[in-house]
Amino acid sequence: MKKNKTMIVVFLAPAVIMFCIIFVYPIIRTILMSFFKIEGVTDALSKWEFSGLANYIKLFNTELFRISMWNIFRIWLFGGILVMGLALLFAAILTSGIRFKNVFRAIIYMPNVVSAVALATMWLQYVFSPKFGLFKSIGTLLHWKWLEDFQWLDPSHLFLALLIAYCFGMVGYHMLIFASGIERIGTEYYEAATLDGASRIQQFRYITLPLLKGVTKTNITMWSISSAGFFLWSQLFSMVVSNTQTITPVVYMYQNIFGAGNSMTERNAGIGAAVGVLLSVCVVLIFIVCDKLFKDDDIEF
Amino acid sequence: MKKKCLSTLLCAAMVAAMLTGCGGDKAPAADEKLVYWSMWDAAEPQAQAISKSIEAFTEETGIAVDVQFKGRTGIREGLQPALDAGTNIDLFDEDIDRVNTTWGSYLLDLEELAKANDYEATANAGLMAACREVGGGSLKSIPYQPNVFAYFYNVEIFEAAGVTAVPTTWAEFLDTCQKIKDAGYTPITNDNAYISSMFGYHMSRLVGEPATEEIVKNGEWDHEAVLKTAQAYEELASKGYFSETIESNQWPAGQNTELAMGTAAMYLNGSWLPNEVKDIAGEDFKWGCFSYPAVEGGVDGTEASNYGAQVFAINAKSSKPDQAFQLITYLTKGEADALLSEMSVGIPADSSNTAWPALLTNVKPVMDSLTTRYPWGAGAEANADMTPIIVENFTKLCGGSLDAQGFVDAMKAAGK
Repeated sequence: MKKNKTMIVVFLAPAVIMFCIIFVYPIIRTILMSFFKIEGVTDALSKWEFSGLANYIKLFNTELFRISMWNIFRIWLFGGILVMGLALLFAAILTSGIRFKNVFRAIIYMPNVVSAVALATMWLQYVFSPKFGLFKSIGTLLHWKWLEDFQWLDPSHLFLALLIAYCFGMVGYHMLIFASGIERIGTEYYEAATLDGASRIQQFRYITLPLLKGVTKTNITMWSISSAGFFLWSQLFSMVVSNTQTITPVVYMYQNIFGAGNSMTERNAGIGAAVGVLLSVCVVLIFIVCDKLFKDDDIEF
Repeated sequence: MKKKCLSTLLCAAMVAAMLTGCGGDKAPAADEKLVYWSMWDAAEPQAQAISKSIEAFTEETGIAVDVQFKGRTGIREGLQPALDAGTNIDLFDEDIDRVNTTWGSYLLDLEELAKANDYEATANAGLMAACREVGGGSLKSIPYQPNVFAYFYNVEIFEAAGVTAVPTTWAEFLDTCQKIKDAGYTPITNDNAYISSMFGYHMSRLVGEPATEEIVKNGEWDHEAVLKTAQAYEELASKGYFSETIESNQWPAGQNTELAMGTAAMYLNGSWLPNEVKDIAGEDFKWGCFSYPAVEGGVDGTEASNYGAQVFAINAKSSKPDQAFQLITYLTKGEADALLSEMSVGIPADSSNTAWPALLTNVKPVMDSLTTRYPWGAGAEANADMTPIIVENFTKLCGGSLDAQGFVDAMKAAGK
């Protein structure tokens, strides 16, 4: 037994040490940093100025941070409904035995393979362009004046434009997860239901959906994580200076750590750390709610 | 027992290998080279010109240079952590303000080196003074690629509209806009990335830049200059002087599809603009330039604007400061400076390089006339928490979906 203990320690040590250095230490340091005023993110401890809860108080009192939290919530909720809905719909269609399944799947997944920078540029400078945009051309073709004149990129509609562009790229990814979940469900359930006279829609409602609980939970978890870290698309939809419609907490964090735009603005890595802590709390809360809503082991198949 | 010993040894070897893998790549050869972290991306003309000049420098002096093109984001995020970690970096470059303020504590004082090498004999005196000013009184950086922020315009549109002289006052500016509009062109366009500068410049013309910065930082939106500025822009909007799509212009839509394509006449931007749009505008595009007009009863005139440069700086911990200064001198003088100016359509730093790129000929008188230096955006972006809110509401003001009082009210509401 003594021998075994030594071996356990010896074999676990590298992993534990690495885990502590790469995960535990940064978490503790970030939490600690959030209570200090720190100009440079790598400043030595001696340069940190203790500020108590000042960083958190400032965040809650800053309109821009509140806007960024509201934006991330809107992306998570509305984007989530849109992406999950479309992903589930496409997954159900693709697994229903249609022809050219692989071709459609590849097409829907395609935006995930293309660089986000290229995609965002396409949406911003072409699809949404008020001069020669795709939507404008469609509006002209169909004589839909409202679509022709719609200003997708002005301060009142930029969020909508961002949401559409982002969701377009995310549907394929979540569709694949749903599709793999549906394919796991044995065909005998559907055969039995067909014999009992259940329609396709009834089969989807009473067989597919309940058996997809676990997969749905996975999808919502993945969506929540990617929403919490929403950064690149926000940056691409408001180049150089950020925008009230597209700013997210991670962009706000970045600006506080590295400075905003071209201007020399005040930096405080402590505020950045506080944003990180708050986001983590949000993600943990979402996980808890998800766990309560989707208790996945109640159905076995 | 043997097995146990062997396992322990193998385990120790594994850990050792992992830890070695985490160590820095301090190959002996790297230490001998001069290490330069550059703010340019390797594909940019500036990087290509610098690479060529560094090759020539190495050939001439025998000093090998390890140049790493980090790009704007790379250097902004990575330089300070690298310096804190003791990475071997001899020199680096970035914007004059960022180098001197954000990274000020890492810089070597260059006064002695500049004096010993008689550096200032052919340097731009105004920019050297600006470097000393932001360096807290002493020279800690060497400017190159100077730039100036002003109105850039399409000379052909001005001529077609019958505008014979650039506007120097707000009344002349309004008159110019009307003539351009009557000639069938859009007088002014802009993009989300630069639009707040118009607010900053107008405010600074009225009350000066320090006061503008105070207003923006402290949320003094009740200040009469804010309403006056908003009223001036409400007038521009109501008279139809802005692009119809100004609210939707996401950079670079305005500069590329309106200014460079010849439908809009003016754009408040930096002297890097002709280079950015040269492939769209074409070689025959005639660029004009004028400083933001003076406003009635204002404290600043056309002599004030944001001008600056990228600057080189030497790491205070560098073991080869003389060689680093030698490289900086080489890159900012003579042929290397001329090559950079030519390839990037930029302003030369060496005062003996009198030939400016043809596209920037009209920028020279503006650059020479400036005596007061504004920081970026003339203070409009001094408060990062307010910049997006200013951009949103000012864009709406320019687009006509918000009036002057509405702008002030929106700013007051956001500042609470």
